Formats: sequence, C-alpha cells, structure tokens
Amino acid sequence: MVSQVRAELLKLLSLPTAWVGLVLGLIAAPALALVSAGGTRRAIENGFHADASDAAFQPLGIGLLGALILGVVVMSSEYTSTGDDSPGARQLQATLAAMPRRWRLVAAKAVTLSLLVTVQGTITAVVTLALNRVVLGDLVPAAAPGRVAGAVLYWVLMGLLAYALMLIFRNGIVTLTVLILNISVVSFSYLLTKVTPLAAYLPDIVGTHMFLNEVGDVRIAPLTAGVVMTGWVVALLGLGGWMFDRRDP
Amino acid sequence: MITIEGLTRVRGRARVLHEVGFTARPGRVTGFLGPNGAGKTSTLRVLLGLDRPQAGRALIDGRRYADLERPLTVAGALLDGSGAHRSRTARAHLRWMAASNGLPKGRVDEVLELVGLAPEAGKRAGKYSLGMSRRLGLAAALLGDPPVLILDEPVNGLDPAGIRWMRAFLRDSAAEGRTVLLSSHLMGELAETADDVVIIDHGTVVADGTLAEVVGEHATLEDAFLARTAGEGASW
Repeated sequence: MVSQVRAELLKLLSLPTAWVGLVLGLIAAPALALVSAGGTRRAIENGFHADASDAAFQPLGIGLLGALILGVVVMSSEYTSTGDDSPGARQLQATLAAMPRRWRLVAAKAVTLSLLVTVQGTITAVVTLALNRVVLGDLVPAAAPGRVAGAVLYWVLMGLLAYALMLIFRNGIVTLTVLILNISVVSFSYLLTKVTPLAAYLPDIVGTHMFLNEVGDVRIAPLTAGVVMTGWVVALLGLGGWMFDRRDP
Repeated sequence: MITIEGLTRVRGRARVLHEVGFTARPGRVTGFLGPNGAGKTSTLRVLLGLDRPQAGRALIDGRRYADLERPLTVAGALLDGSGAHRSRTARAHLRWMAASNGLPKGRVDEVLELVGLAPEAGKRAGKYSLGMSRRLGLAAALLGDPPVLILDEPVNGLDPAGIRWMRAFLRDSAAEGRTVLLSSHLMGELAETADDVVIIDHGTVVADGTLAEVVGEHATLEDAFLARTAGEGASW
C-alpha cells in the first residue's frame, strides 16, 4: 500500500492540472480574506454576523475549489485519451497494469488525496485565519483549534466526495461543474433546505457545521456533523469503488 | 508461461471470444494472428485483467494477473498507446510506474536508454510521435525486467529501423528465456519473428502450432492464414 500511495503522489504531482488545484486552493482563500477585509469589517460592525467568529472562516469556501479540483483530477486524468494516434487508449491501462488490485488502487488514491488536501487545507486555514487577525484585529475572536481542524476535515471530505463522484460518473466536467455550481454560484443543497429541513443533512451542508456556528436555521453539533458527512463520503466511496471494480475500463 | 483456457466473452449480443485456448511457452515467441476485430486485443485485455470473461481463465505462471503482488516484475504489457497522460513527461510516467512496484528509480533511466528514448525523456508524452509513444509503452513494459512480455501490435507506428529493432529485441528476449506473446495482423512480420503461431478468427482459435505446422503445405504463412480464415467470409 505504501508503494501505491507513493506512486499516486508522484503521479498527481507530475500533472500540471493538479498544481492548478494545489495553488488555487492555497492562495484563493487568503487573497479573498485580504480583498474582502473592508466588507467583512463593515458586516461585523453592523451586526450582520450573529457570530463574528464565523466571518473569519467564510473566505475558506473559495479555496475549497482547489480541493475539489484535486479530487476530480486524481481520477479524471486516468480517463484522458493518451493521444490522437490512439483515441481509445487511456492512462488507466497503465495504472491497472501496475496496480491491478482495484480496491487497493481506489484506497491508495483516497489516501493520497487525503494527504495532499490535509496539507493544503491546514496551510490555507492557518494563513487565512492569521491574515484575518491582522486585518480585522479584535473584531474576530481567535479561532479555536477544534474549529480549524473541522474546517480542514471538511476540505478533505469534500475532496473525497469529488473523487467518489468521479468514480461513479467517470466524467470530470460533469462532476466539477455540479460541485462548483453548488459551492460558488447557487447551492442546490442550501435551496433544498428551504424545502425540507432534512436537506440540512446533505453532505456538503452538514459538513459546514463542523466549523461554522450559524448555518441556516438548523443547529447541528460539530461532532454529529463530522460523523454524518464522513458517513456520506464513505458510502459514496464504497459505491464508486464497487462500480470501478465491476466495470471493464 | 501463459495459459489460456476456454476463454469466452460476450459483449451485448456479440460473441467476442468463444472458448479461446492456447499456451505461450518460455524461450519462444508466440505470434497471435488474426484479422482486425477477431479477438486478439480482447484476449490480451482479459489476460491483463482489464476485461472479465464469462467463462474460462487466462493465467501467467499459473496466476491471474489481477492477483499478482508486483505485476511489473512478472509480466510486461504493451497495449494501444503509450499509457502516459499527455501532459506528463515520459520520465515522470515511468517514475510513478516504478514506484508502484517498488522498483529502483535508476531502472527508469535504464529502460529509457534501452528503447532509445533517453534524449526525449523530458518531453511531454502528448508531444510524442506514434513511434515514440510505442517506445515509451515498451519502456514501461520492461521496467520490472519481467520474464513474460505481452505485446499488442508492437510494430504499429514504427519506422523501418524501429521494426528491425523490435524484431531483434523480441528474438533476443525469447533467447534469454522469456515468454513472448505478440499479436499482429501483419503476417510477413510474424513469419519473421514467431516460433509458434496461434490464429484467431471471429473469436475462435482456428490454428495453433509451430510456425512450420501452421504453414503446413501452404507456400507462406499468409496463404495458410487466408485459407483458414477466408472461408467464413472475413470482412476483408
């Protein structure tokens, strides 16, 4: 398993698209924290945030794109045609030649992705929160370590969610479009919460309760939120892995 | 040693393979011959664990490919294309493949040298010519110095010098005691390299033996091949 994870790390880090995801995830949130500092300051002073500590975590949402890109690319790169000379040939053939045990491959990719996103998320969260303290001063309270860990775990689980959807749909464009629309333009999950309170337990919404205090009208304890989101991701990974194992590539 | 027994694969309504069986022995080049669409690639894909058969089995030294712990050290395979993501360099591609099977980093430069790709190793695979892609695919197959080689149309896209090089390489590999199984639709090519020949047509093995046995009283392998396959109204 160690050699498989090493191989997947080398594989991912020698892919330009993966670096887009890595770098985007690292710089987007701190950049947004700087750019939006004025607005955030006014919002807090005007009492827009019921819980000012949430304001410090808000910019992290944009950096999540990086984790999603990594989650997609780790699998979509396997399905890219290797060249115009042989349109049917894909990297997956080489991957399965080197690592034919499919469940082990699915696991190795999940571990690799988790490692990368943990590092990425930790650096981003720490830098963003520190920047907030610099630009907003005492308007935002210092972030509790537990909430930072919750935010990082949210990133990792969202990356894994993207990977699980890739395993199921085998199409990076569809997966990425759905996830990006959902987190950045209009959150379908959030809209659904207006229809049924149960939607608060959808994976992308419930996970935010791990580090935000004010999400919609429902209060869910951070631990419950983490357990529910992990359950979703494990179930979807299980389904994706099962489909990957059964299908002829 | 490659053992294929009773391999049957149906895809939709089409019968791709029907009770395909043959062996490829160490120290010999076994040519797997058939028209396009006859089932050569399908057989090799099952052998490599990419596709699943409905019946039968395909074993390498008595084991299924998918059960091998470090498969690159047991069998090397060359299928269509280079296998490398087009935005990855050849060296990076071979690096991760080597790492996945616990092979030393130095082995990457050895195989790049062996297939004559060392000067171009830093180029992205997407910029490679067809011939260079084949060489990269072969380099990957050779990483683990495997005793078994499985090659699908290995001379496709090679220039005359490359074809001659490949022919010598395959002969040398067999002389070293390796099992070499290569598929081709080029009869002249196979007649030059193969010790044993298996002919497949419409998913069924129609001839299997040494080159001399399969040619029989026909003048050439091509004549023998056409005599065995044309009767069924082959598409060409």
